[in-house]
Amino acid sequence: MPLYEGIGAITDKLVVVIDIGAAYTKLGFSGEFSPRCIIRSEVKCKDTGRVRNIRDYENAQDLYDLLVDFVHMLYFKYALLSPKDRPVVIIESLLCPTIFRETLAKVLFCHYEVSMMLVLPSHLVCLAPLAVDTALVLDVGYTEAIAIPVCHGLPVIHAWQALPIASQAVHGNLKTLLTACNTGINSISEWTIEDIKVRCCFVTTQKRAQEFSKATPEITTCLEVKYPLEGSRTLTIPGKVRETVYEIFFEEDNDHQCMSTMILDAILKVNVDLRIKLSENIVIMGGTAMTPGFKNRLKDELYKQLKSDRYSKLKITKFKFHSPPSKDNYTAWLGGAIYGCTELLSMKGLSRENYLKENRLPDWANMKDNLRTL
Amino acid sequence: MSYIIGSDVVRYACTCGILKPISKLYFCRHCLEVRCGFCVCHEVDSHFCGKCAENLPSSEARLKKNRCGNCYDCPSCHQQLTTRAATVGPKNPEDPKATPRKVFYLLCLLCRWSSRDVGIPDQSAVSGGWPERENIHANRLQEIQDMYKGIVLLDKQQKLEKDKKKQRRYMSFTDRTGITASMLRKRVGLPDIPHPLLKPKPKEPEPAVAKEDVEELPEELLTKPVNLCEVTTMEQRLVQPEWQPITVEKLFPIHKQLSVKRSQRCRSCEHNVSKPEYNPNSIKFKIQLFACFHIPEVRIVTVEPLRAGKTCELLLKFSNPTQHQTVITFLPVTLEMEETKISEQVTEDKSVVDDYLLEKKQPLSLTGTGSQPSSLLHASLSRQPSITVKPRPIAVPVVADITIPTSTFILPPRDDAAEYDDSGDTHNIQDDSKLVIWRKSNKAVVKLQVTPKEDLKIGDEVVAGFTMQHIYVNTITTVDNKEPQKCEHKVKVFVTLGNLVGSE
Repeated sequence: MPLYEGIGAITDKLVVVIDIGAAYTKLGFSGEFSPRCIIRSEVKCKDTGRVRNIRDYENAQDLYDLLVDFVHMLYFKYALLSPKDRPVVIIESLLCPTIFRETLAKVLFCHYEVSMMLVLPSHLVCLAPLAVDTALVLDVGYTEAIAIPVCHGLPVIHAWQALPIASQAVHGNLKTLLTACNTGINSISEWTIEDIKVRCCFVTTQKRAQEFSKATPEITTCLEVKYPLEGSRTLTIPGKVRETVYEIFFEEDNDHQCMSTMILDAILKVNVDLRIKLSENIVIMGGTAMTPGFKNRLKDELYKQLKSDRYSKLKITKFKFHSPPSKDNYTAWLGGAIYGCTELLSMKGLSRENYLKENRLPDWANMKDNLRTL
Repeated sequence: MSYIIGSDVVRYACTCGILKPISKLYFCRHCLEVRCGFCVCHEVDSHFCGKCAENLPSSEARLKKNRCGNCYDCPSCHQQLTTRAATVGPKNPEDPKATPRKVFYLLCLLCRWSSRDVGIPDQSAVSGGWPERENIHANRLQEIQDMYKGIVLLDKQQKLEKDKKKQRRYMSFTDRTGITASMLRKRVGLPDIPHPLLKPKPKEPEPAVAKEDVEELPEELLTKPVNLCEVTTMEQRLVQPEWQPITVEKLFPIHKQLSVKRSQRCRSCEHNVSKPEYNPNSIKFKIQLFACFHIPEVRIVTVEPLRAGKTCELLLKFSNPTQHQTVITFLPVTLEMEETKISEQVTEDKSVVDDYLLEKKQPLSLTGTGSQPSSLLHASLSRQPSITVKPRPIAVPVVADITIPTSTFILPPRDDAAEYDDSGDTHNIQDDSKLVIWRKSNKAVVKLQVTPKEDLKIGDEVVAGFTMQHIYVNTITTVDNKEPQKCEHKVKVFVTLGNLVGSE
């Protein structure tokens, strides 16, 4: 640490808050109300020159190398400070693979030598900006949608629901629909697909979706869009594709599950006394939830499912939704930033000494950390 | 230089086990080991703006959220914005004496986005005073943050008090006399101190209220055509995480992100291997222990067509970058040696868990000799000793054997003046003529025999390796040692010779 870094910087340590998502990583400092940057969770491989997502690892060693490069970029390009001897707050999903979190801890503690690491579950911390402690949290991210109820500040993990219906599924669907109606165009890059999805597509209303599912829809679709591709070609995006690409979220799969049943199933698994409260405190986060019309449609679908026999024992009459004081894609990060500026960091954080003693990260799934001490 | 650094046909093995070309390696003069960008500790040295080259102290950079106060980036294409001047009519056109006013606006020279597009009023000063936007939720979030801070602090205090109570062993005053402290205070006439558990609780803001109605689907999406030029892309949204504008009318100029100068520090001896000058305009270094200044450089001159199982000639050129004469010896490369060495280390140190070698080092003392005493002084205040990560095994398939010559050869010191001296070489070096076939100033070309393994197929890449041992003159003087010290340094070199063209 150079001398001109200033004495103030030593006494008042900056806490970096990182939320490594499947598609985008949110990075910022604790005590601030928005992340400094939201960047793609990918890193350029030095050997091959290929850009790789950090979740596309082959093994632990490969992931370690990817994360070393990625964290280097986060600190020296965006956070602009040395990671050594500084605390860090990591926001992770409760369903994060063990290999990923263990390797991340190894990279941060052994390679970058952070002094302390506080790992926070995203479903819990996203309630901090709302100042509520009981809510049903639905996170619609890139690979999957996860619903976990949080009751009195505790995530009820046994009620978790997850389905692989999120951005990635929409991208796949959009790609097939577009190649079907644009002859001659076979390979559209993932990022172009995302751009088309974000700029042209939306979630249509329930009424129109029902009409579309009929054999002969009697409605006029929205207008088609000519999307310029690679400078010379044009991609035609029909109105029907624009409206119906998100329908996979609400179509029941073979197990009769979809986005709306996830929420209701999660509520069903929770104690009767909490069900009404959960249904009246629904928090939706994740970048995919920012799609125009998504929340409206989800609400309609919830009411529709409620009428079916499966949920007849639920005595819910209405659903209420929270609107966090943030954009949906960084709600969890914001919660982490609020947690990070409290004393919780020093009370509950895992220090480097403790990590090096045990060489592992505490985990809710590990019985060693779940033993009740009297 | 691109032909040297562009392709890595000659790679050196770093101490950490990663293979890199010599241009990407460091050489720590204090522990006499090769280091690379992966196994050194990177540190942020100074912040600067890449456009105006202004140097910002880190505290100021922190205050400005790592952004330059004067420079702006285009929100549309992320290039730099320039300030443009324009003249407008005087404030009161009736006054004949009034001169036209100069106003300024921001313009992107690449995509022609301008601050006038989004209705930002023109400024009368060059440097701006451009309006800043605030987070609309800031007040509410600040309240919530203060509440959480208060709750956790209270929690911590209660925990501390609990611990304190447990530790109390001696009898309290109350037990002996039956008079409580508060009674005593009242009698003496002092104001009563409130009970610690009855402390005012932190003010809690109202919890957020959930609503039944949510954002509706905007009707115009169904009826109006989409103009792609008016809808922002993901990149344009995400560079402004706080607002994430959906339409281009809401784009706002972005303060330019600062850049940093980095210094690199050896993890095992805590000395800098590279340290740039503080001034952002300078491209020089204060400390630059790059491997290409200390370790002889190897280049492939030529190699005979490679055939499986057949010996062919390989010409390598060695050049000595140092000011001291060196002797180069060839040794066979042993990849297995690494692993045995590691396992020895592991057995030595019982506390090593899994695959990390945790060498705990004492922080450097103030009396220690170093090249930068001021930073050392500071280091002892805050720096924790580094953790040394265990080297990984070298992952390269060596598929050709190099016949290791028994004789050694000398490389004279580098002499920049000799480069321009055409008078021929005057040094009298007794060379093994079988080994050294050409020599000029600090360079020499040697001939080696290389045999690709027999089981190779045509088109396979042939990699051969050898260990180069050279005499390194350590010019660092310590308290005990005033004289430069000679030592033998070994480094593994791997040469990619190209593809196999045929078999025997």
